[in-house]
Amino acid sequence: MMLTPLLLIPFLGLVPLLLWPASAPAGRLRAVAISVLALQLLWSLVVLVAFDPADGGLQMVENVTWLPTLGLDYRLGVDGLSLPLLLMNAALTLVSAVCTRDISQRPRIYFALLLLISGAVNGAFLAQNLLLFLIFYELELIPLWLLIAVWGGAERAYAATKFLIFTAASGMLILGAFLALALLTGSLDFSLTPVTSERLAMGSQLVLLGALLVGFGIKIPLVPFHSWLPDAHTQASTPVSVLLAGVLLKLGTYGLLRFGLGLFPEAWAVMAPWLAGWAAVSVLYGSLAAIAQRDMKRMVAYSSVGHMGTILLAAAAATPVSLLGTVFQMVSHGLISALLFLLVGIVYRKTGTRDLEVLRGLLNPERGLPYTGTLMILGVMASAGLPGMAGFISEFLVFRGSISAFPLATLLCMVGSGLTAVYFLLLVNRAFFGRLAVTPPTDPLSDARLDVRPIAVAPREIIPATALALGVVGMGLLPAGLGHISEAATTAISQLPAVMTAIGIRGGLG
Amino acid sequence: MPVIPARLTYAGGHPDAAELAGRLLASQTLLADTPEHVVEVVDVLYSYGIVLDAYSRNLIYQAEEQFLNPFPIFKFLDGDLSAAKIWRHLIHDRINFEYAEYCMKAMLWHGTGGLDAYLDTEAFLANCQAIIRRKSGRDPLLALLHPLFGGFLPELIRTAATTHALGQFWRVMSDLFVDLGQAEAEGRVRSIPEVVAFLQQGLVAAAANPITYAVTVAGERFWVLPPEAGLTFLVDVAVPYVEAVFLRGTPFLGTVSFNAQAQQISPDQSQFRYGALYADPLPTMGAGIPPSLLMQDMYRHLPERLHERYRHSTRGEGDVRVKICMSFQKSMFCVTNAAINGTFPHPLDDPTPLATAANRAYADAWAARLCLARTDCLDASKQRRA
Repeated sequence: MMLTPLLLIPFLGLVPLLLWPASAPAGRLRAVAISVLALQLLWSLVVLVAFDPADGGLQMVENVTWLPTLGLDYRLGVDGLSLPLLLMNAALTLVSAVCTRDISQRPRIYFALLLLISGAVNGAFLAQNLLLFLIFYELELIPLWLLIAVWGGAERAYAATKFLIFTAASGMLILGAFLALALLTGSLDFSLTPVTSERLAMGSQLVLLGALLVGFGIKIPLVPFHSWLPDAHTQASTPVSVLLAGVLLKLGTYGLLRFGLGLFPEAWAVMAPWLAGWAAVSVLYGSLAAIAQRDMKRMVAYSSVGHMGTILLAAAAATPVSLLGTVFQMVSHGLISALLFLLVGIVYRKTGTRDLEVLRGLLNPERGLPYTGTLMILGVMASAGLPGMAGFISEFLVFRGSISAFPLATLLCMVGSGLTAVYFLLLVNRAFFGRLAVTPPTDPLSDARLDVRPIAVAPREIIPATALALGVVGMGLLPAGLGHISEAATTAISQLPAVMTAIGIRGGLG
Repeated sequence: MPVIPARLTYAGGHPDAAELAGRLLASQTLLADTPEHVVEVVDVLYSYGIVLDAYSRNLIYQAEEQFLNPFPIFKFLDGDLSAAKIWRHLIHDRINFEYAEYCMKAMLWHGTGGLDAYLDTEAFLANCQAIIRRKSGRDPLLALLHPLFGGFLPELIRTAATTHALGQFWRVMSDLFVDLGQAEAEGRVRSIPEVVAFLQQGLVAAAANPITYAVTVAGERFWVLPPEAGLTFLVDVAVPYVEAVFLRGTPFLGTVSFNAQAQQISPDQSQFRYGALYADPLPTMGAGIPPSLLMQDMYRHLPERLHERYRHSTRGEGDVRVKICMSFQKSMFCVTNAAINGTFPHPLDDPTPLATAANRAYADAWAARLCLARTDCLDASKQRRA
């Protein structure tokens, strides 16, 4: 019973929050939520300690038959692919709760929803039964919709509805694929067993894999299913953006690896060249769209589209190095984008705007946001893949692992990675360098004389961002730890197509 | 995208040239007369006075004791080479004398007025040659250097002369600013017009003070700026100082574009507008902003009354040096105001048309330059009602 507590802690933790009297101060509810999330992080670390990195298969498996007539089993397990994501979920939900301040309305519901999302994400990463996965995958949807629709910005209704429609479609496609799999194979076995061509014709495999790709492609998101993400990010509050970028998008890439590659290794190998091309389009489109943005948050959101695209490239290549790269890219993107969203949130809170045509010179040492600016420069350098930080090691692994399989797509993705430097330098140059100003320039003479007085950032406000920045640098300098945890599992996944082919050949001969 | 909250910015107004000239001619002060301004100006000038005292002593020490020293590594120690002093210097528990040198270089480079004119005369060069001959006898390095680069040592002596003259100027200003603080504490100065009048009296009283400078080389005394050159405090040092440091200044890296091809910095030195009255206080403490050094020095000697006021405005201690810089700019407008009042060609109450026209032209010339300065700090709209 190592893994069930990861579900019990958040799900039971939200009960006292909901039972608290409505008059309870938001600060106390926040403290309760932080304690629960800290406990969850602690238990995730316990799982990390108990984890055996040398074993590439599932560990700490818990298996309870639940509804055998439906094929729904309560089957949990953890491997080197899901463990880093569990840790990320625990850490970033905690960061979200810590950076939630000045919450004016319904704090009980707000923190309860945070815990619900965190528990559901844990469940999705741990589930080893397709239906169980789907339950958790859908479970995080409604809380997130509420978090955007209730606590979001001015256009929140539009953004939240768009998010709901897109991700509901995603859920339906995945459910459809799973049910069709049961229908076509004629068995109610929803366990995670690779489907061979013996059991299912290649044509059907490709259709099912296509449904999964679109379903998870919406969640990641990949172009052209990405348009919900920038709207959701711009309207979501900072903690929700942190969760969304840092954790929830990873459900898409995790699903792609676990169910796309894991269930249909043969079909995956057939589609891989197209997937690599799709990845290159997604990376280039995301990066080019980011250049055109003038809202800082939209820019970071489009950079997410670009960076998540590289995960598809690495998954398509499916070499041991590139799959290790996917884990690194998921963790590094989670840390970096969470850091960037936190910092953009601080800028927005202090200046009342995220408009790059308005903000200037925020690095001003006395009147600006110098420490925030410093962390922002660190964050964009990491995102652009500068050595010594998390972005470098993950992109290096992705490109190194993919270039032999798909040279052209990899080179195009590298161009997209280079464009990261372009748009983030635009961001830093516009918002942080030059004379301090938070007003659209109308009269150059009088604007140059304006006495600008943003409120200072208190040290406690910057603690979460500092912690993430340390994580980004730490992972860049000492990547071996994560590699140690994940390598056996990703190598095992990379050998699936070869193993399947070998089994297929033997089956054919027999 | 939401509109930027108005509470995050403050615009101080922007009086035009006609209004500034009118104020000068009507004997009104440029800086609005409010009780807050009196505290700001008097207290900031008091701390400036203390800092100028240190600057002045050090500049005079450098010019006299470190004269033609090729490796003046202890020039900021005022001759005190004790371990404690060196340690305090190394951990930066000290006055930033670099700022004084920066002002000296601005004066030397802009080179206006009688002092600069004298530095190019035959008499000055003859003195230089005598000094160099005497010094070369004892210093083989200089003996080697001078024949190779004939212009080098005279230029160093010009630098030393400017250093000494600035030291003498600040000696007077330091005492004047400290006296102003004393006068305000005793209730003799209560308003901005009285502050300006006090400064004007001080400048007028010192106007004719002679500026001289002699060095002792190998036991022999030489004049660098002899009495017969006739250099005086106000015309030959104070006015060039105001021109170089208050008005022209030099552009700081990071605040002004250095695209010389686009002539974003005027190729004509006299058109420079980067001095203390034009400088933007917001980048204070940024890299490459020399006034940050002065603000740090003044911060260390800030009177408690003003410090307490700063603690309760905007970011408190967090942006205290920017606030000092803003107050300093106000006080520098008062000093400029006093200097203009003291140098009108005719008394302002002289009713003859010739005198009125001359005064008007003088005021207009100043107003034309000042209307481009940071007059937003003057808070013209806050003028105290009589």
